[in-house]
Amino acid sequence: MEYDTMMMDGESLGPSVKISAADDAYVNFQLSNVDLSFANSLRRVMLAEVPTVAIDLVEVEINTSVLADEFVAHRLGLIPLDSREIDQLNYTRDCDCDQSCGKCTVVLTLHAKCTGDDVMKVYARDLIVGIDRPNNHIGNPVITDPDGLGSLICKLRKGQEIKLSCIAKKGIAKEHAKWSPTSAVGFEYDPHNKLHHLDLWYEADAAEEWPASKNANFEEPPAEGEPFDYDAVPSKFYFEVESAGNIEPDNIIHEGIKEIQKKLAGLIHGLGENDGMDAGYDGPRSPDGMDGGAGWQDQGFTTPYGNTGGTTAWGGGGAATAYGTTPYGNSGSGGGW
Amino acid sequence: MSNNKHFNEPDDPFELFLVNEGDGEKKITEKPFAGTSNTSDFILLKEDHTLGNLLAEHLKQEPRVLMAGYKVGHPNVPEVLIRLQTDGTISPREILIDVCKQLIASYGQLGREFTREYELRRMVAAGEQENGGR
Ligand SMILES: [Zn+2]
Repeated sequence: MEYDTMMMDGESLGPSVKISAADDAYVNFQLSNVDLSFANSLRRVMLAEVPTVAIDLVEVEINTSVLADEFVAHRLGLIPLDSREIDQLNYTRDCDCDQSCGKCTVVLTLHAKCTGDDVMKVYARDLIVGIDRPNNHIGNPVITDPDGLGSLICKLRKGQEIKLSCIAKKGIAKEHAKWSPTSAVGFEYDPHNKLHHLDLWYEADAAEEWPASKNANFEEPPAEGEPFDYDAVPSKFYFEVESAGNIEPDNIIHEGIKEIQKKLAGLIHGLGENDGMDAGYDGPRSPDGMDGGAGWQDQGFTTPYGNTGGTTAWGGGGAATAYGTTPYGNSGSGGGW
Repeated sequence: MSNNKHFNEPDDPFELFLVNEGDGEKKITEKPFAGTSNTSDFILLKEDHTLGNLLAEHLKQEPRVLMAGYKVGHPNVPEVLIRLQTDGTISPREILIDVCKQLIASYGQLGREFTREYELRRMVAAGEQENGGR
C-alpha cells in the first residue's frame, strides 16, 4: 500500500522515516533527511548503549555436568531476558541496597537432575524466576520457539545434576555484549555506490561481481556517463534492526533515541546551562540514574517515550510532547542541517 | 588457595562509560586554546565516536563556526576531544550548547516520526486482517 506521507506530515523538514518491513523480531526502515553522523550515532547507540537485563552473577551449588562452571555461567549470561519497561529496574551501582535487591536485580534459579537413560536437555524455560522484581515480566527468559523451550543451557546424562542460582542485572553492551538488545543492526546507504565511498575490488567487472543489494531498488541507478558529483552527501539510510528478543524492535529505536538525548542533555548540563533542567538533576552520573531517569525527563525534556507508545499524536497538531513545547523553543525544523 | 578475583574480570567494569565524580572527573571540560582566536577544546570523558562525530559534523554545519573537529586519541582511552573555533559573534561554549539542543530536538522528531509510521503500519495490518487479507 502506498501513502502520501508528506500530506500528513507536519514536520516535513526534519528526519523522515519509512518502514519497509516489520514483525515481532525486526524492523526495516529508511531514514532520510538526515546526515551520516546523525544516522550512525543512532546505530551505534542502539548496538551498545540501550540498557537490558542479563544474568551477571552465578552461584553454582552442584554441577556434575560435563561443562565447567564458568562455561555454564557464560551460557546463562547470553540468554535473552525480558527487558521491557527497563526503567523500572535500577542499576545495582545506583541502588540504595548493599549488594542486590528486588529493585535492581532479578534472581533466577535452576535445578535439574537426569534420572532416566536418555540424555536430558536443560532449557531456559527450566529457570525459575524469583518473585521479588519490579513487575511480573522483567527477567523472564525469552522463549519464542513453537515448543516453548527457549535457549539450550546444557545436556545431562544419567546421574548428572546441575543446581545454581543466578543474579540478573541491568547493564549495557559497552560493558558486555550480552546486554545488547540487538542481534544485528543492518546499515546501508548509497546502494549504487554513486558517492564512491567504497572502492570495490574486482577480477574483471565490478558490476558483475558485486550484485546490487535489495536497497538498490529504492534508488535510481547512475545514468550512463553521469559525471561524478563532488558535492553529493548521503542522505538516505537503510536500517535493519533485529531484536535479540529482550526488547521489541520498535522500542530499541525509541530507547536508542532516548540514550542519545540523555547524553546530549548531560553535556548541556555539564556546560553549565540550566534552562529546562532542574537542579535536582545532578549530572550524567550514570546512563540512567536511580530515579529511573525521571530527574531530567520530567523537567522540560518531555520525550514521547515516558508512556510507551501511548500517545501517538499524529492525527494533527496535537503533538503535545514535541520539543517545541520545551524551554528549548526549537521547533525541531530550525536545526538547519 | 584463594581465588576471589577471576583473571579476566576487569578492574573497573564501568570504566568505559561511567564518569567517576568521586575522583573529581567531569563529563565535559572546556579549555580555551591559545593558538587561535575564539577557539576552545572540549574534553568529553567516557564518550566515543557516537558523540564526537555527531557533534563535530553538526558544528561544522553552523555558519558561525569556522572550524570544528574531534579525535579519540587512543581506542582504549574513552575520551573525546572536540576543538571548536567560532567567528567571534558567539562563544564556542554557546554554539556547542545550541547544537546539542538542536540535536535533542531532531532526535525527538525522529522518535515521533517513527512512532507515527509504526502505528500507521500496524493499523493497516489490522485492517487487512479484518478484510480477510484482501
Ligand atoms: Zn538494589
